[in-house]
Amino acid sequence: MRIAFRALFQKDVRMLASGKFFLMAIGFLFLYTAYINLGYLRFMQMEPYSVYLYDPAGTQTEKSPLVQTVSSMEAMKTALLSDANAAGLDASGGTIRVVLYAGAEAIDRHRADYALSLLRSSGGDPPEILGTNTPEQKARKEITCELLFFELSAVGFLGIAAVLFKEKWMGVLRVHAILPLRKNWFLLSKLAVFLVSDLVFAALLTLLNIGLADGITVLPAVLLQTALLSLVMALAGLLCALLLKDFRQFTLAYLALAVFAATPVFLSANTSVKFAWIGYHPFYHVYMGLKNAYFETAISPIYCVGMAGVIAVLFLAVQLAFRRETGKGG
Amino acid sequence: MIAVKNLTFSYGKDKQALHGLNFAVEDGEIFGFLGPNGSGKSTTQKILTGILKGYNGKVSLFGQDISAAYGPEFFQKIGVLFEFPYLYTNLSAVDNLNYFASFYPKEQRRDVRELLEMLEVKSSFLKKPVSSYSKGMRQRVSMARALISSPRLLFLDEPTSGLDPSGAVLFRKIIEQERKKGTTVFVTTHNMADADLLCDRVAFLSNGNLVALDTPKRLKEKNSNHRVVIDYLVQGRRETKTIEAQELEQGIPFVHDEIVSLHSQEPTLEDVFIQYTGRGLS
Repeated sequence: MRIAFRALFQKDVRMLASGKFFLMAIGFLFLYTAYINLGYLRFMQMEPYSVYLYDPAGTQTEKSPLVQTVSSMEAMKTALLSDANAAGLDASGGTIRVVLYAGAEAIDRHRADYALSLLRSSGGDPPEILGTNTPEQKARKEITCELLFFELSAVGFLGIAAVLFKEKWMGVLRVHAILPLRKNWFLLSKLAVFLVSDLVFAALLTLLNIGLADGITVLPAVLLQTALLSLVMALAGLLCALLLKDFRQFTLAYLALAVFAATPVFLSANTSVKFAWIGYHPFYHVYMGLKNAYFETAISPIYCVGMAGVIAVLFLAVQLAFRRETGKGG
Repeated sequence: MIAVKNLTFSYGKDKQALHGLNFAVEDGEIFGFLGPNGSGKSTTQKILTGILKGYNGKVSLFGQDISAAYGPEFFQKIGVLFEFPYLYTNLSAVDNLNYFASFYPKEQRRDVRELLEMLEVKSSFLKKPVSSYSKGMRQRVSMARALISSPRLLFLDEPTSGLDPSGAVLFRKIIEQERKKGTTVFVTTHNMADADLLCDRVAFLSNGNLVALDTPKRLKEKNSNHRVVIDYLVQGRRETKTIEAQELEQGIPFVHDEIVSLHSQEPTLEDVFIQYTGRGLS
């Protein structure tokens, strides 16, 4: 029986290799690492908004060096036209007047406060800093977590479905129905291949982007969350591939998942946008589980038990769908 | 080898596919299962191969009730050739067979290369991916897959479909060889020539009912009109006459100078099938 499982596992590895899955995973690993180190961190270090000041009398003596002075109101309007997110400060009338292109109300207020703050000296009491992460390390962990979540939920989901669709199209699922093997093993070997691949990917992405020392500390918790998410997504991918007719239908389902499932989760978890119903969104808890692992926040055992339950239910559903599929036609 | 008693099966409430089938297949027999599309052939084969459950009636294979025999041991004893050549198209013939063979005990496995040679798969293709094979080549590799485990019971669904005439002759020869080794063969087919040439007995299935079961020869004899058509020459003219076969016992019962040809009016297996079911096979 061990030999049968090994044969299934080796075949699945070959299927993934022939579909260039591993090559793509390595490509994504380099792409994400390049993006984090060459793009995202630099972007996070940039000033949020440009600030232009028109002050013909030179009244603002304590202004920050980040403030750019313009020679006239026309010059300011030209600058704001080319950089619509910037804020302008008009000090020509004695009092300070904020000038900007309207956006969202809360953001506009933030831009105005930020622009005005640059006119004051930077003295005063500094805020109390919580946690031990430096801003860069915090940014590294956040983006690594987001990219890993994306990789596991989107790429893994697509990858396993692509393999199963190929097998469905070749008709070999029906052959497995009459082979002397436990039918569950056909599914388990696929899950095992994706699990191993996802765990290796998660470990490399974490170590490459948050560093060896920090990486090793968070790795056990990250790998546990990776395993849970990987199994859930792989099972969801298998279920979709078994129930849906072809890959075109699957890509539509995938788009719906990406738009309606992932977007609100990212918004709620990483921005000040909060939806009242987000607590009922299963992906939100999965994402927060991964984020908590990176930031070494305790993960509720109830959550882990719940995930194990979800995996068990999904596995039963996949088994039923597999039996239904192998009994069709032919 | 196979014993089926009162087998019924329904897909949902109002879609009864099988209406109480009764038949038995002896050890070492080649048994033909014939019927038009939708007659219940595939459903029966799926039940016999353990793919479909939820049937009523009694089905025994190898002397054991099939409902208790769906484990790996059961599948070790059967080989199945599907109507279409289901193979991993990204793998070569050798890799496909090595993969499928790996699920069977070593002592049961046949030599992959020997098998492919027997099925006349071109040696230059052995290491090429199956995607580059013709339909006939794929069917040969599929047959090799069905035989790789030296099964005691072989299910063949349209075995010669997609093969050229020489391929069909080769398959029939191989099936005969398997029978000589003691393998029981259950053939599902539309091909009357295959059924007539290969099968010891055939069963006709129509709308989920078994309407006839006998040897092809007896079925044809039973349904023959026992007439003979004679072409002959008389006074330089060519004439044709149809007479009862019995009349020939007394010699040719009419004046003639020369007999040109003599045709018995025995029906083909397809004619017999149409007589029983009122419809053709295809």
